[in-house]
Amino acid sequence: MIERKYLIASVAIIVAFAIGLVAFFAFSADKPDGLEDVMEDNGIEEGEPIWQAPFDYGDDYMGALFAGIIGFLVVFLVLFAYLRIVAKRKSNEEKK
Amino acid sequence: MAPVIWILGWAVSLIFIALAVLRVNKTIDEKAVPFMAILAAGIFVAQMLNFPIIGGTTGHLIGAALATVLLGPWAAMLIITVILIIQGLIFGDGGITALGLNILNMAIIGSLSAWAIISLVPKKYEMTGIFAAAWTSVFLAATACALQLSFSYAIDPAFGIDGTIAIPTMLASHAIIGLGEGVITTGIVVFLAKVAPETLKMRVPSEKGAGA
Repeated sequence: MIERKYLIASVAIIVAFAIGLVAFFAFSADKPDGLEDVMEDNGIEEGEPIWQAPFDYGDDYMGALFAGIIGFLVVFLVLFAYLRIVAKRKSNEEKK
Repeated sequence: MAPVIWILGWAVSLIFIALAVLRVNKTIDEKAVPFMAILAAGIFVAQMLNFPIIGGTTGHLIGAALATVLLGPWAAMLIITVILIIQGLIFGDGGITALGLNILNMAIIGSLSAWAIISLVPKKYEMTGIFAAAWTSVFLAATACALQLSFSYAIDPAFGIDGTIAIPTMLASHAIIGLGEGVITTGIVVFLAKVAPETLKMRVPSEKGAGA
């Protein structure tokens, strides 16, 4: 169903992410991003969320790595399933 | 954000998402499906990796320009939207009310502005065009966000940030973050051109009647 090259690409992305995460924790993890910085400087806080998300991005390396892999799989599976249905429907319509 | 701003954000976003869904339904190529899903998953993890910029601030990839270069603007819009929805629903990154504006800024404005630049720059200067597209996508997404914060503040100072502060600070930091987006986007495209050139042929042109 999925060609071998895509499995290799997926593993390569996860490995690159695992390495990138080391740099993230070394240089960036404790600093705000562009929008958060502007919000902090102006005393704006995000309100109470109306939706309680089941996961977060984790506070340490292993937690973030786990979150990244979960996110990778969820995004992949959601889009793969949806796009495959759409593509199948299109090719069936074209055959008619 | 003032309610009227995020409600408007959702309204505009839903129109564009509907257009993107219709467009992708018409143009999708079955062979491109695994690549599209892996690209989206890769953009998701890349968005987690903030890189430092000056002044103790960080930035991270949006990925709209990368997805636009590789897949065209409508598919890019769709996959960045899915990423933002999953970030919000599963990881609590970005609230549900703000999600409409996040989709508008990053998925829609990000993809369309990147596409406009790519289309304007001659093929001869493709890589420069991709870099410029990536920078522009971040800069315009940040501009839109700063304007929304400013309008919100103008409606009710309890929400949003004074425009005289929000606009210059957001634009200054994102002018630099955009350079990071440019370097990463161009780097990935160059890398893909070397190791998997077929991935650069999946782009769906936005012109009328163009197929996958």
